[in-house]
Amino acid sequence: MSAVDKPIAGHVDDSHGDPNASYLEAKHGIGPWLYTLDHKRIGLMYLVMISLAFLAGGIFALLVRLELFTRGKTIIDAETYNKFFTLHGAIMVFLFIIPSIPAGLGNFFLPIMVGAKDVAFPRLNMWSFYIYLIGAVISLASIVIGSVDTGWTFYTPYSTTTATAVASMTFGVFVLGFSSILTGLNFIVTVHTMRGPGITWRRLPLFVWGMYSTALIQVLATPVLAITVALLMMERVFGLGIFNPKLGGDPVLFQHFFWFYSHPAVYIMIVPGMAIISEVLATFTRRPIVGYFAGAMSSLSLALLGFLVWGHHMFTAGMSEFSTMLFSALTFLVAIPSGVKVFNWTATLYKGEVWFTTPMLYALSFIFLFSIGGLTGLFLGTLSVDVHLHDTYFVVAHFHYVMMGGTVMGFLAGMFYWWPKMTGKLYNETPAKVGWFLVFVGFNVTFIAQFIMGSRGMPRRYYDYLPQFEPFHKASTIGSWILGLGLIIEAVTLLSSLKNGKKSPPNPWGSAGYEWQTATPPLLFNFKEIPVRTRGPYDYHLATPEDLYDGFPEGEPHGD
Amino acid sequence: MKLAMLAPTSFQLPEAMSSFAPTIDDLYMKIYWLSVVFFVAIVGAMVYFAVKYRKRAGHKAEAATHSVFMDRLEVFWTVAPIFILLPLFHEGFRGYMDLSVAPADSIEIRVRGAQWRWEFEYPNGESDNVLHVPVNKNVKLIMSSEDVLHAFFVPEFRVKKDLVPGMYSSVWFRPTVTGEADLFCAEYCGGKSKDNTGAELPPAQFNGHWSMISKVKIDTPEAFDKYLDNMAPVGPLEERGRALYLKKACVGCHTIDGSKGVAPTWKGVFGKSHKMADGTDAVMDENYVRESILNPNAKIVAGYTAPSVMPTYQGTLKEKEIDAIIAFMKSLKE
Ligand code: HEC
Ligand code: HEM
Ligand SMILES: [Cu+2]
Ligand SMILES: [Cu+2]
Repeated sequence: MSAVDKPIAGHVDDSHGDPNASYLEAKHGIGPWLYTLDHKRIGLMYLVMISLAFLAGGIFALLVRLELFTRGKTIIDAETYNKFFTLHGAIMVFLFIIPSIPAGLGNFFLPIMVGAKDVAFPRLNMWSFYIYLIGAVISLASIVIGSVDTGWTFYTPYSTTTATAVASMTFGVFVLGFSSILTGLNFIVTVHTMRGPGITWRRLPLFVWGMYSTALIQVLATPVLAITVALLMMERVFGLGIFNPKLGGDPVLFQHFFWFYSHPAVYIMIVPGMAIISEVLATFTRRPIVGYFAGAMSSLSLALLGFLVWGHHMFTAGMSEFSTMLFSALTFLVAIPSGVKVFNWTATLYKGEVWFTTPMLYALSFIFLFSIGGLTGLFLGTLSVDVHLHDTYFVVAHFHYVMMGGTVMGFLAGMFYWWPKMTGKLYNETPAKVGWFLVFVGFNVTFIAQFIMGSRGMPRRYYDYLPQFEPFHKASTIGSWILGLGLIIEAVTLLSSLKNGKKSPPNPWGSAGYEWQTATPPLLFNFKEIPVRTRGPYDYHLATPEDLYDGFPEGEPHGD
Repeated sequence: MKLAMLAPTSFQLPEAMSSFAPTIDDLYMKIYWLSVVFFVAIVGAMVYFAVKYRKRAGHKAEAATHSVFMDRLEVFWTVAPIFILLPLFHEGFRGYMDLSVAPADSIEIRVRGAQWRWEFEYPNGESDNVLHVPVNKNVKLIMSSEDVLHAFFVPEFRVKKDLVPGMYSSVWFRPTVTGEADLFCAEYCGGKSKDNTGAELPPAQFNGHWSMISKVKIDTPEAFDKYLDNMAPVGPLEERGRALYLKKACVGCHTIDGSKGVAPTWKGVFGKSHKMADGTDAVMDENYVRESILNPNAKIVAGYTAPSVMPTYQGTLKEKEIDAIIAFMKSLKE
């Protein structure tokens, strides 16, 4: 395999590769990867970068936890600690979790699921990847230059006065935002205009519904982030008084701006995770998700309601009582579609055929952990109780239960579920399940301890703590080691399958999902010819168990 | 520790030391038990179904059929939560209103936050870095920050409020038991562990958000009075305000006897509402006075011309001095 492809006899058109070869094999060498327009290769490159970001964010997290293992200084000094927790948060949010499912797995599977050869604007898709890379480099360079110690929320006026490289870090976030907007735009247009024959809105896989809802939020909310960081940069660089009271600005204005983006952003994070859970549950119960339509609509309503609750992050910042009341009421409203989803997933198991594969274990953990995350959201949405809990470890635990317990579990479920599809290799189930067990146990140990110390009054972002919190911090740090070990096992399991894994059959799970009815790994153009769908993606009742593995009959068109 | 686990309230929440604590704890525990019920129901059903319908020889998924029962169930669990959440919201909001409105008879204490220290200033003009309060008395804190955001947090009281540079915020509480409680800064405000040359300081000299902690000492009323008496007397806050009124030349324009000069009088005006040049009404409270001093053109009093002839005192008057002037204005009753 040389970097320069020479025309080989028999290849149809080497500049584009053989459309009937696997996308991994259609073109060789590093070049075709770097300037590829193929959504699958772009998705895979995203996954590589995202995993590296997860690794970096994870290392910072472990260091932060290690520092908190004992009172006083354990391994790092206070300034370094402040930088590390900022880096942990910013990397996890902006470089890992926001792009993880949409830009990685979404890019790979959305076109296949809607029966298209690629996304609507493949070149834009490539650009969004490179813009992501540029944004990542700028943000990471800020680490080297001087690092940022403001927390991932960049609250003013601290962020406009501290001596660290906040300006370049926020510029990196600004650039990353554009990448996110482009991906969202691409998905919206693809879903509207490129659905294959027979794929009506009501037959759209729930994963696609989730990606579509997410894309709407990305396109509508991310520009606000861009405006906010642009204003922040103007203040830092040109001294314009916008947020800094010393210059005549208003620091609370920044919080409104920031959360106007960042609350919708939490739905950019969770809705894709939910979307994967729906796919995985359907496959491993052999049942359609209860309330398909409710599922699709609750994703959409989450996306839209999410724009109206940003103020719940500012209940102690001194808003008027009237706005406080509205934000609290709306926050409770958001809890309802989340609840409906959890009930529907649980009901899906009923009378199903529950197959405990690694992805399924992650999906079940999602229900377990996300329920805790959502229910603790109720404490925080309740005004008088939030006054006590705000800015304590309780909030930290809450959002880790939803973001890590939700989105990351969804991401891992998706990685294991689709790994054979993407790579053509089967991973080894036993170590994967051991890894899952450690992740699940470690996660709960780490964060349950944080709930308790939080409600007992331990403030967040503290380098040191009073003696009464010591047992909780110790437990949490030990939990983080178990969690870290579990994740390492999972990474090794997946990566080693690339070398030693058995070749995957086309549909190892016997799923009725559209993406499994194609070659594994997929062909360069996804299909030999665009399939005509005559059934929904969860119509298990239309096939015998053997059909599921050997090729699901499409049959005569029916239904809507 | 083991016994504590059986009493979830005292395990999850710190000691209740203010009048708010019992109601907030009550609501907290209500949500807690509600969550436990939901969680056990969801996870219980999940585990039960997963085991009962696990993949095994001879068991197959039942074909999904459309059932009216399922439709009804779905409508039920979409609508039912609203009736559970509504009372929660309502109770939370009521509690929040109690927290927001301080009773008129509250003792006022000034709180100033700065990187990384607290300063509490009592009505006698003296300050301390520990907060003393009398038990069973309403205490109102009027807070400001000298640099970045901070937040006043006393877990035992269940109160928290941000200190925002450039404005006053306030919080109140009524301690219900004597004793001692920890006081934290809850809004991240940075930290320092290196000296100006970039060399690392010894850990004992690290300073920052986490070290911006202090104590609340809840005294009996007698002990509280004694504490105040024992503080070096340098004259009450309003006396310092009077001195500033003369020294900073406010006297040149503002009168204190009610007569009209080149500027509105200060006599008997604090706390009252009066007309602005643009027709709106403004109440003369701490924030308004502060704004008038730092940015006289923000609001012009009816009958005076814009731009105001009053110079800005931004940068010339310290936070503490503004507080003193306000106290002085308050003392000028009709
Ligand atoms: C050169 C004259 C001048 C001086 C000196 C001056 N002021 Fe004023 N001040 C005014 C005028 C005129 C107004 C009314 C117009 C306006 O609202 O700005 C005013 C308004 C105010 C108000 C709002 C009063 C109201 O009834 O709404 C406050 C408070 C105030 N001044 C405080 C001060 C303080 C404190 C000082 C001294 C540190 C000071 N002023 C010095 C001329 C002056
Ligand atoms: C049931 C639904 C939910 C409710 C009612 C809820 C409520 C809240 C409230 C009121 C806060 C503010 C707490 C405070 O700072 O005092 C909060 C914080 C937060 N929530 Fe949620 N939440 C829910 C679900 C989610 C989901 C799904 C996510 C993300 C995947 C999420 C992520 C976060 C984050 C990141 C923060 C804190 C950010 C920070 O301060 O750094 N939440 N939540
Ligand atoms: Cu939010
Ligand atoms: Cu502080």
